[in-house]
Parts: sequence; C-alpha cells; structure tokens
Amino acid sequence: MPMYQVKPVFGDDIKTDLPTCMYKLPNIHAQRSASGCSEHALQNGTEVDPAFRDLEVRQDKIMRRLNELKAAVDGLAKTVTTPDADLDQTVTSLSQSPTATSFRGTADLDSLLGKDLGALRDIVINANPARPPLTLLVLHAMLCQRYRVLSSVHVHSSVSGVPAQLLSCLGPRHADSYVRQRFQLGFTLIWKDVSKLQMKFSIQNMCPIEGEANVARFLFRLVAPYPSDPALATLVDSWVDTAFFQLAEGSAKERSAVLRALNGALGRDPWLAGPELSLADIACYCCVLQTGPAASSPANVQRWLKACENLGHFGPANPLLQ
Amino acid sequence: ANMEGQKAKRSVHNLGKSQYGTRLESDMALYRPTVAPVLTSELGVASPNERAPADAYCIVVIVLGKQCFLVLRQQQFNVQALVAVGERASKQMVKFAANINKESIVDVEAVVKKVEQTIESCSQQDVELHIERIFVVSQAEPRLPLQLEDCVRPEGEGDEDGRATVNQDTRLDNRVIDLRTTTSQAIFRLQSGVCQLFRDTLTNKGFVEIQTPKIISAASEGGANVFTVSYFKTSAYLAQSPQLYKQMCICADFDKVFCVGPVFRAEDSNTHRHLTEFVGLDIELAFNYHYHEVIESITDTMVQIFKGLRDKFQTEIQTVGKQYPSEPFKFLEPTLRLEYSEGVAMLREAGVEMGDEEDLSTPNEKLLGRLVKEKYDTDFYVLDKYPLAVRPFYTMPDPNDKKYSNSYDMFMRGEEILSGAQRIHDAQLLTERAMHHNIDLEKIKSYIDSFRYGAPPHGGGGIGLERVCMLYLGLHNVRQTSMFPRDPKRLTP
Repeated sequence: MPMYQVKPVFGDDIKTDLPTCMYKLPNIHAQRSASGCSEHALQNGTEVDPAFRDLEVRQDKIMRRLNELKAAVDGLAKTVTTPDADLDQTVTSLSQSPTATSFRGTADLDSLLGKDLGALRDIVINANPARPPLTLLVLHAMLCQRYRVLSSVHVHSSVSGVPAQLLSCLGPRHADSYVRQRFQLGFTLIWKDVSKLQMKFSIQNMCPIEGEANVARFLFRLVAPYPSDPALATLVDSWVDTAFFQLAEGSAKERSAVLRALNGALGRDPWLAGPELSLADIACYCCVLQTGPAASSPANVQRWLKACENLGHFGPANPLLQ
Repeated sequence: ANMEGQKAKRSVHNLGKSQYGTRLESDMALYRPTVAPVLTSELGVASPNERAPADAYCIVVIVLGKQCFLVLRQQQFNVQALVAVGERASKQMVKFAANINKESIVDVEAVVKKVEQTIESCSQQDVELHIERIFVVSQAEPRLPLQLEDCVRPEGEGDEDGRATVNQDTRLDNRVIDLRTTTSQAIFRLQSGVCQLFRDTLTNKGFVEIQTPKIISAASEGGANVFTVSYFKTSAYLAQSPQLYKQMCICADFDKVFCVGPVFRAEDSNTHRHLTEFVGLDIELAFNYHYHEVIESITDTMVQIFKGLRDKFQTEIQTVGKQYPSEPFKFLEPTLRLEYSEGVAMLREAGVEMGDEEDLSTPNEKLLGRLVKEKYDTDFYVLDKYPLAVRPFYTMPDPNDKKYSNSYDMFMRGEEILSGAQRIHDAQLLTERAMHHNIDLEKIKSYIDSFRYGAPPHGGGGIGLERVCMLYLGLHNVRQTSMFPRDPKRLTP
C-alpha cells in the first residue's frame, strides 16, 4: 500500500525532446576544401574590419621601433661609459643594426644567475694565497671581455700579508669603480686562510661552492655554454676533474700518467674536447704548468701549450707561474 | 690585634731582622730591599731563585693547617704565594698572613720555586713564591663592597635590553675596585692602544692634531640633545661634536686634521650603546678629485688600528675573552664598500620591506651586518651613498642622482660606528639646504660665513672610542669600555 498519494503536478502526456549530441563543433575537415571558411578568428580575411588589420600593422611597427630605440639607448649608455669611444660612429651604426655590441646584455646574466634586485651581482671567492687559483684568473679575464665586471681584491684579517703580485692579479682598477651600479657583474677575490677554495654568490638561494674545479665550471658557464652534446660535455668534465685531482694534487706517478694521457689525446685533436678551446683546455693548461715547466712535458703537450698561449687568454696566469 | 700591633711597632726599630708586620709611613725611609723589585708579570721558570716582587695586591688568603696560601696580583698578572711554618717563618707569621685583608697592598720578599702541577687559576702558572718576609703597606677594610672573583666570573647571559643590571650598577658604583679586575685592566689597555694607533696612523699620513672648544654658542647638530651651561650672564652649550671647528680648520688651510676629545650628547636614551659623554675621535680632510679619497683615508686608518690591535694586543684580547667570549674581529683590506641601494636590495632579498629612501632602523642595520658577514666574512664595512632625505643639512648631494648624497656610514659587527659625508663647501648651496631643512639661519651665521672666503671640498667623520672598543671586543654594553661612564641616570663616580 503506498505511503501517501499526491495529485500529479503536471500531465504525463508532454513530449520532451531529449538531446542525442553533447556538444557541436565545426567540422575541421571541411576547412581545407572550403575557402574563406572561418577558423582562426584573427586571420579572418574578408569578414573582419580592415581597420582592425590596420591596427595590428601599426602595433607591429611601433613594437619594432621601440625595440630599436631600446637597443640604441643601451648602446649609447655603454659607449658613454667606455673611454675613447667614437660617439658619432657608434650612433650611426646603431641606427642601422642594433645588435652589434661587444658586450652581452644583462638579459643573459638574468637568465643564468637570476634576476638582480638592484644589488650588484657580486661573486665572492675566498682563496688561500698559498695556492692561487690560476684557472679562475683566466676565466676572470674571459668574463671581462664579455661583461662589464667590477673586480676587487681584498686581504682578509686571517692572513697577515700577501705578495704584491697577488694583490694586482685581477688587473688595474677600473676607472668607474666608484659607482658600483654601472657594472653588470662583480668579481671579489679575498685572500683568506681557508683550507679549500670557496665561492659565495647568493646567500639566500645558494650554498657556498667549494673547490677550484667546481667554481671554474660555474664561471665558465657565464662565459660560454657547455657543449650540448652530452658525450662531449662529459669529456670536458672528466678532463677538468683529472686536471684538478690527479695533475695538481696527485703523486708523481699519477702526474706522469696524466701527461701521457694528454699527449695521446692531443695527438689526435688540436684541443682536448671538441674543435674549440673549452674549459678542459683551460684547466689542464693551468694545472700542467703549475706542476712543472713547459719544457718537461711530452711533445704534443708542448705544442698544445704553445697554441693555448697564442690565444692570449692565459696572460693573467703567467706572472703567478714564475 | 693589639698584640700584633705592638709587635709591628717593635719591628719598626729592627726592620732588617723582622719578617712580617705592617709597614707604616715612617718606615719607608729606612727600608731598602736587598734586591731590586720584580714585576709579577716577569715571574716564571726562568726567574733565579731569590727575588722580591714589588708591591702587589694580595687578593686571596687561604689557610690550610700550617700553611697559608695567598695570591698576589699586579694589574693583569697574579701569582700564588705561600707562607709555611718552617725555619724561615714562625707560626705567628703564618697567622699574620692569614689575617691580612683582601685587597691590601703587601710588600713581599720571597723565593721563586718551580711547581710540578700548573697553577691554572693564576696568570703565572709554573711558579709559586715561598715567602720569607711579608709587610702590609696599605690595609684594606675587611668588608669589601664587592668581591673581585665575582667580577671576573664569566656571565651566564649578557644584558640584552641595555638597562644597567644590578650587577653593573654595583660595579659602576665601586669602580675603583671593579677596575682592578684582569678583564678591566685588559679592556682599558686595549682602549689606550686604540687611541695610540689612531694618533700614530694619522700623524704618519700627515694629519695635524687640533683641539676644538667644547663650550660653544649654538647647538652644532641642531635638535634638543644639547647640554646648556650658564655662562656669566648668558648661557652656552656643550659641544655635541667638533664638526664646525674641524671644518673651519680645513677652511683655514690645514688640509688634514684630527681631534680627540669629549663629546656631550643630552640624549635621554638608556641603551647599551649610548652615553651622554664619550670620547670622540674625529677626522676631517680636504680631497683632490673625489670624496672617495676621504672614505679610503678613514677606512685605511681603521684597518691600521685593527691590525695593530690584532698584532700587539693579543694578550689583552684573550684576557677579555675569558670572561666575555666572542668571535674574533674580522676585516678586509681594502675595506669593503657597498652602496646603500645594494644594502636595501640585500635586505629586500631577505624579506624586509622598506622604501628606497628610508633610513635603516637598528634591527635592519644588524640584519644587514649579518648578511654582509655571511657573504664576505667581514665585521667592518662601509655603506656609501645614503639617501639625501635622512642626512643633515650640510651633506653634499650626489651630483648624478639628487635622491642620494655623498655620505656614508661605517659599521662594526652590524652596529654603526661612524657617520660621515662630504660637506657642502659653498656658502650659497649651504644656505639653500639649511632653508630646506627649516633651520634658523641666524643661529648658524658664523658657520656659513666660514665658507665665504675660499673653502676646499672636504669631508670626514667621527668615531666613538668606547663604542669602537666595545664592538671590537664583542662586548655588549658600552659602559664596560668607559672608565667612569655618564648616562642619563649616572653622574658619579
């Protein structure tokens, strides 16, 4: 027996049309055959207002002009700060090709190191004066060619005195060094009584990096990217490690083994990893010369050492090798 | 006591034969020791067997049966001494020695003996004195207002909020006794070293020392923090800083000057780092091309002071460290110089919200000090290019950016020790800036006048001696480095 009865609210003879299709889409296959069919709203040739199209064209032109102006202003700013700049020449050349500057933009540093918040991006390296990091001096010189670098050398109170050549190892003081904001990168070398070379960059986001090999890898990435081929990149890394662990700190047997390996590798190719100078060559050059004079290395190695020297990057290391 | 007194009197007449007693003034002319007095600091294993130390303070008396141990002290050095019943000493002598009040001055003739076990509690650890003759030169009262060993004990906690604790008040009330502790001796010797190094370094750089007047007619820094003194029929003020006179000396063609003298600030703040009177070490110099020459000169002076302390005052630093342990002071040479906008960016990165032209609050200064220490491992650095809005009216604005100024602060362990700047040397600009700050031009008329007759561009700064010592040693209250401190609540001793 039913619990209760209710009069029907509405009659049961109303016919409802239940849908059979969830949603409708235009047929994408039909576009290719039909011409002028609407799919991309923006590229609607005949049906859209020509005024809209004009607006787009104008916008494109303005953006291009803005970019050109920005590049021109950047270029001017750089020429004003470098002495002996020929202003007239650079301005006319800039109006034609805004990309021909020898310094890489801050945009690169932003992507590599993170956006700067107004503070100079200062790389702080604590090194022991008994073991000067030659690789880092060479990399510093390469950095200076690509960016505006503010370099400074300090002596920490834990060390009572360092020889004069260690104080001037980063080169003469930049004329602009009294305005730190004008530089893209800072390179601060502190001679300190530390057992292992240490680098500090961003104390909020990074822990200190220890070891000359690792710091060299960090700095090299600012100069040029690692080879994209993973096998080649591994080869570079392996040579760097060999240089720092077996050549610089190893026993005499290990050192001669490495020199033989170097000799073999350099017999086949002019550089250690790939067709160009890489971090592997820089590291090995410095470590080879730190362990003994050039004349005592095998023939291929000597040839390669000469080739490295001719490139001119290794100038800063030479006074410290004597 | 009476009997002993009589015995002492008898011994006056045959001093050569007596071995103990109280030495009275009338005896002094008769007594000549057999050997020259030796300083406690020189006593060691190398000392020959028989010497007589000079007058020393007797600080501890311990009686053990037939022996009486004493500790004799001179300034920072102390040595254990022993009076034992034997062929050289009688029982009465041991009793006499046992009854000597602490902090009495005694004159002793003794034999220096090597000990097998190092005496940890004394500064001279390898020897002890076997006393043959002992005389009291000046008797101290039996009840001392404070015990010296309490004074030297390392504290469990420092006074964070700056209020003088009861401990410190008692010390300061009885400063004469408190200053005898090894720690105080070390602190003030180090302070003397700072002054010495300051003078020597600057004199070697060609600076001239000047003395400036402290009674002046108008408040030099402006504001209400000035003491008024009655001056015949009118009143005068005590100088808040030698600023005006240093600058006048530069205008008087002295080129580089410094002065060491008291500074009076009537600030009613009871903090750990403020005093109403302190010793100011001020520098002012004219520069040739850029005011950074001034910064370099000042920071180089500071670095030479730090190096001098590090190399020549290690004993004092270690002595203070026993009671107040702290991290050794670290610095870089040449000194690290950061710009204000960099400091603000570093603080923002660490989560602090502040405006570009806002002044640094004390907690922010401390945080920035910690960040700089973390990155560069230095306790001393310069923050350059402060915003113009927070600096006094005589600060030269930055020619490249008018929001900023050619001014700088220097910090030690995150606390400010020096505020300096390039000064405006043009009377016209100075008048404009003074009007901008709503300063009554009449009051500073003579100051502005000094720049009307040819003034070189110059700058400088000043440090407080007590604060620098406090921060160098890592102490927590400036009253520890001021001999007789003055603050809103203390006028004596």
